[in-house]
Amino acid sequence: MSDPLKDPDDDWWNSPVNRRESIWLGLAGAWSVGIFAWMAGFTQFGDQNPIGTTYDVDPDRYQERVAEYKEAAEETEDGLVPPGDDVYIGALRFNWDGLPVVLEAGHEYDIHLGAYDVQHGFSVRPEENLNKQINLQVFPGSEWVIPMTFDEPGTYHVVCNEFCGQGHRTMHGRFTVVEG
Amino acid sequence: MSAIASLFRNDYDSDGFRTCSVTGLDVHRSVENHVKLFGLTAVIALAFGGIFAFTVAMTRWEFIGFLDPGSYYTHLSLHAWNLLIFWMVFMEIAILYVGGPMVLGRTLPLRRLATAGWVIMALGAVGVNASILLTEAPNEAPLLTAYVPLPVSPWFYGTAIVFLLGTTIAALPFFATIWLETRGTRRTLPLVAFGAFITGIIAVEAILGGIAAFAYAFAWRIDLIASVDPGIYRQLYWIIGHGSQQINLLAMITVWYFLTHVVGGAVVVSEKISRTAFVFYLFFINLGAAHHLLVDPGVSAGWRIWNTSYAFYGAAFASMIHAFAIPAGIEAGRRRRGQGGGLFGWLTSAPWGNPVFAATVFSIILFGFLGGITGVVMGQMQVNMTWHNTFAAVGHFHATVVLGTTLAFMGLVFFVIKTMFRRDFVSETLAAAVPYAYAGAMSIVTLMMMYAGILYGVPRRTAEVVRNIPGSEFSFAAAIPIFMIFGLFAVVAIASGALFILVSVGSLLFGDRLPGGDDGGLLPEGGLHADGGQPIHAVELRGTFTLCLVFLAVFIAIYVLNWYLVTQLWAIGA
Ligand SMILES: [Cu+2]
Repeated sequence: MSDPLKDPDDDWWNSPVNRRESIWLGLAGAWSVGIFAWMAGFTQFGDQNPIGTTYDVDPDRYQERVAEYKEAAEETEDGLVPPGDDVYIGALRFNWDGLPVVLEAGHEYDIHLGAYDVQHGFSVRPEENLNKQINLQVFPGSEWVIPMTFDEPGTYHVVCNEFCGQGHRTMHGRFTVVEG
Repeated sequence: MSAIASLFRNDYDSDGFRTCSVTGLDVHRSVENHVKLFGLTAVIALAFGGIFAFTVAMTRWEFIGFLDPGSYYTHLSLHAWNLLIFWMVFMEIAILYVGGPMVLGRTLPLRRLATAGWVIMALGAVGVNASILLTEAPNEAPLLTAYVPLPVSPWFYGTAIVFLLGTTIAALPFFATIWLETRGTRRTLPLVAFGAFITGIIAVEAILGGIAAFAYAFAWRIDLIASVDPGIYRQLYWIIGHGSQQINLLAMITVWYFLTHVVGGAVVVSEKISRTAFVFYLFFINLGAAHHLLVDPGVSAGWRIWNTSYAFYGAAFASMIHAFAIPAGIEAGRRRRGQGGGLFGWLTSAPWGNPVFAATVFSIILFGFLGGITGVVMGQMQVNMTWHNTFAAVGHFHATVVLGTTLAFMGLVFFVIKTMFRRDFVSETLAAAVPYAYAGAMSIVTLMMMYAGILYGVPRRTAEVVRNIPGSEFSFAAAIPIFMIFGLFAVVAIASGALFILVSVGSLLFGDRLPGGDDGGLLPEGGLHADGGQPIHAVELRGTFTLCLVFLAVFIAIYVLNWYLVTQLWAIGA
């Protein structure tokens, strides 16, 4: 019997399997293992991994840290020039505190991401090539430090891609990356 | 009133049973009437949520720009809850009753509980809709996720919990059936009942997660606890947020096995392999939910890789098994009866004019190619950075739950209209057109969503960004051509959905009653059980094998393309 509405035969576990179905099992299994290996391996040899360090931080305390950082940074027409390798960004409804910022191409920065109120989405792309884009989630209560190296100069736009309230679509910021 | 009462009337014998002229199953009145009750409620939710599909799509198509941002988020929440949750979950309870007592030829146990479950679910559904509609500042529309600490009405969390409790109660008669059936015997359940059983277990896991998540947020909203942790809420929330979609997936696959058999003459090519795939789902599929947390702070890389990759691929592997087993069932069933030779004769000679068959097969193909592949690809930790919260993610889940689940459930509704309501379609032509128009237009809509997200970086959950980001010189105007195609085909898709509702409701109200014994033109050529020919394992399955190789080739191409885009990015992370 081979009817999905009836009980199978007693020996259904030992019934022979079609040759092509067995081959497909092998192919599908190999593919599953292969893409697992690639993803895990990429964390070792790849340059694009959403991996950083997270610290628990009170949202108010994080806001103070961003303020201290802004104090230390140099203000220019295109935005803040960070005093060192650390860049602090604080998300709040409906603004990116700490942006715009001026960075050097080819220089590795530690980007600190945190929020003061609700969850936001940190979504970045260069102005002239929208399909180069990344998206990270930002929480109140967490400070996520992710190293980044922008290799090409240009303007990078930051929008919030998590619904954080009705004004959410107006939440826009900028990185200006200059020749290093 | 009498028109509605007549929907619940059929010719039963003195014990309340009748024999279905299509499936040959012994159907009891108690089971059938509850299937109808839950099914009709689901269709009402589909019609209601479909209205908001129109307003939401016409807002995202900024050429029309239908709603202001405030109403947009309200409409988006109503669209999501009515279609992703109420339409699907009411259908799934109906599917549990079909897959349990109906397939097993039993009465429905605990009938009062089933009805009470329906009442509580309906109250919860009305409550969720009301809480969204009555949202007032400072509260925000919940969307589907209601991420804390965004202020969302406590009524929303409360009524969502009521709905989940109702669903649990409504599922109990199904579990009681399975328990009564298997206790003290060594009986193996039929495959469809087995699939329904695994679906039920996954549903319970998801519901427990949902109750935990919403209770946690509710307690915070009514000041029982002082603060909430967004990361913990997200972990709990996604147990149901994605888990509910896993219920859809399992219910859909169970429906695939059921409908390809009864309208396409499919057989089970290997009970062992199909059942093993369901067991894989049981162990692994809920871990797939972790892919929502791939770009969250505070989750270790090891956690992400384990859950979304190693464990999740247990489920992806299972889906690839069904991707072979189901078309192979059709191929084997038809070849054994000599219906169509060559490589694809079995497929080209299939009953494509039967909307139940067409809807089922389109669901299988489109779920696999558009929904399944993108799900695995975006579930890779690094690729996820490019998909997360973009319009592409919306494209992915429309491919899974609209092209996959909704299409399969549409086929099932048509099937139920003929076999349980015993009505002829008001128009066979219009009914036959529904799956073609809907699947065709929705495929283009989902592709455009994916392109807008991946190639243009358009975020999801925004009222407008393409023509205008207020207060900014920047916009996603490059994506305008994509949105033009999106908008036009969204109109066609929604019109096809409306046609589905019209044909279904029209047939129930005005369709001719089918005479007893009439199969309504649903049965495959040669009847349900055409025996003879070779044993199944020896039937040539080269058509299915070829299709699966094409599928794997497309999978590899999309995988490579997405990774290429990732490696083009600037250096990010450790
Ligand atoms: Cu925001």
